Amino acid sequence: MDLLIQLTLNGLFNGAHFALLAMGFALIFGTTGVVHFAYGPVYAVGAYAIWALAVLVGLPFWAAVLLGVALTAALGVGCYLFIYRPFEISGSPPFVVLVASLGLFIVMKNLIGIVFGTGVKTVDSVAYDVHFVGNAFFTTVQLGQVAAALLVGCGIALFLRASRYGKAIRAMADNREMATVIGIDTTRLSILVFALGSAVSAVAGSLVLLRDGLNPNMGFGAVFVAFVAVIVGGVGSLRGAVIAAFLLAFVQSLGMWQIPTEWQNTIVFVVLFGFLLARPSGIVRRA
Amino acid sequence: MSKRTLFAALVLSSALSTAALSTTALAADPAVYKIGGIFAMTGASPHYGKVMSAGAQLAVDEINAQGGIDGIKLQLVIEDHKSGSAQAAVAGMNRLIDVEGVKAVLPSFSTVTLATMPIGDQKKVMMINGGGVSAQTVGTSPYMFNIRSMASDLAAGIAHRAAEQGAKKLAQIAIKSEFGDATIAATTKAWEGMGLKMVAAEQFQADAANIDTQVAKLRASQPDAIANWPTTPQAGLAVKRMRELGMKQPVYCMEWTAEDTKVAGRHAEGVEVVTDYFAATDENPWSKRFADAYRAKFGEMPDFYAANYYEGVYVVAELIRRAKAKGGDYYSGERLVQALWENPTFDSVYGKTLTFRKNGVAQKPVAVFRLENGEQKFVKFTTGE
Repeated sequence: MDLLIQLTLNGLFNGAHFALLAMGFALIFGTTGVVHFAYGPVYAVGAYAIWALAVLVGLPFWAAVLLGVALTAALGVGCYLFIYRPFEISGSPPFVVLVASLGLFIVMKNLIGIVFGTGVKTVDSVAYDVHFVGNAFFTTVQLGQVAAALLVGCGIALFLRASRYGKAIRAMADNREMATVIGIDTTRLSILVFALGSAVSAVAGSLVLLRDGLNPNMGFGAVFVAFVAVIVGGVGSLRGAVIAAFLLAFVQSLGMWQIPTEWQNTIVFVVLFGFLLARPSGIVRRA
Repeated sequence: MSKRTLFAALVLSSALSTAALSTTALAADPAVYKIGGIFAMTGASPHYGKVMSAGAQLAVDEINAQGGIDGIKLQLVIEDHKSGSAQAAVAGMNRLIDVEGVKAVLPSFSTVTLATMPIGDQKKVMMINGGGVSAQTVGTSPYMFNIRSMASDLAAGIAHRAAEQGAKKLAQIAIKSEFGDATIAATTKAWEGMGLKMVAAEQFQADAANIDTQVAKLRASQPDAIANWPTTPQAGLAVKRMRELGMKQPVYCMEWTAEDTKVAGRHAEGVEVVTDYFAATDENPWSKRFADAYRAKFGEMPDFYAANYYEGVYVVAELIRRAKAKGGDYYSGERLVQALWENPTFDSVYGKTLTFRKNGVAQKPVAVFRLENGEQKFVKFTTGE
């Protein structure tokens, strides 16, 4: 029973991390239609920037996070303006943009190794506690992941529902051409969602920096999880992406209750493959 | 045939013979002796590539500084296997042999060594592994040699160490790889062979950063001791996670680097490492010279991986020297292997000499270290048999 409780908690905390990643990716992909695979290394660069600001520059961790999130947002905007936007202007088919995003992924990943080195980066100055619920445990950082997912999720939901820009983003996600016809500036909105989505990824990165440390390859797993969550959740649905992120994490964790852990990735994708066969449009179907 | 024609034919045949001879001479004596290295320069574990290539390059530089081998310089040609990609390793091995013309290759990682071994065997290129520990590399090719202890040796050493410290129930955690599988199997065999109980064996993917599920299952199995088999940096991550979650059992590893200490932080304290033993001592001047040169060049002390690949280059150089002394078309994998078996003993940077056993493995001293204040402190020698 203790193990089951522990695995449930692990699923919850990992789900929160996956949800943060999925929300950022879903905002960008759902609104602009760009399969932004470089989201992975953008997330990694964000985390490395926070590490550099905290360790090399010596800023307090919270200040490093704030500045790192802003820098990551700027990097996301740069990706859009300098890589994807020219393809949009020239009317390139989506697969060309997809290839460009893969190229950008590789370039950025290698640049991380060149600039920061290939070794693991950790922050030692931030101590955190371990909490026990009966015989099960969790850390303050894991609590932070849940809190961050809740805050960011509620914030984005509120922004999309209540603000003028949020409504425009929803309109663009629903029908980009119609949005353009009624006078919505889709370029400006694309810049905005790239900034927002990238900033959200940096929040996830700051917590992973404390929990596991950083390595140049961390971006692949992140964008992979985010992409799968968005597809399983239903493209265009932020709520679906979050639900799918938690589903993914719970299957990954609870699925191992009676099965050897070497099957962890295999079982997850067997379950998800079965799910998509039964419900190809994802968890949340768009009208 | 007129005298003039006969004379011309003689001159021509003489010229052709001379040309043929010089071609033979050129083929036998290359402009440079290229030694291949297939290392983890990128990917999840680039630390290994860094130290292995550094050790090998230092040996090449030292030998070249002393005039090479009879005036012919050595050159280290490195291919990147991206921390265990068999595909990258095979491509690299083919390039080393077909494009660079190497006759000896230093592979690393069990997966990589196993993937490239058939190519070395088929193309008759000597291979000296100083990193991978899979027993499957032993005795399967006449061109394959190992200059580090195999997983089965180290697993037996760790099983003995855990048992002598009173453990009855052992749990294992490893990466899902050939190395992980082989190590789990070897440890289970050694542990259960002593009549003791194995309570868990958990595995995860090589690039995983989140191993909470595996650690939760280890904890639930309530072991007396934990055998921690991941490589850098996951070895450190696993220890960090175990300690954070209140697991106070002794942890034993066969791989531990400075990267792991960095990742595990204060939780590294007390971890025991049972592995090949390299230490620079005054009693062994070569080890001290090597360590000083390594630190001067790379700013850190060498670990046993650096020592193994440093030594590997010296072994290859000695073999070339011996084969060359015998004359003929000496520069081939076959002649290098032949030279090795004519005398399988070499000077060792570990101290005194190393001798290749009949299975192609030169076993190294195996020792127990304990991590204290971030440093590996020698505890005792142990049996790897």
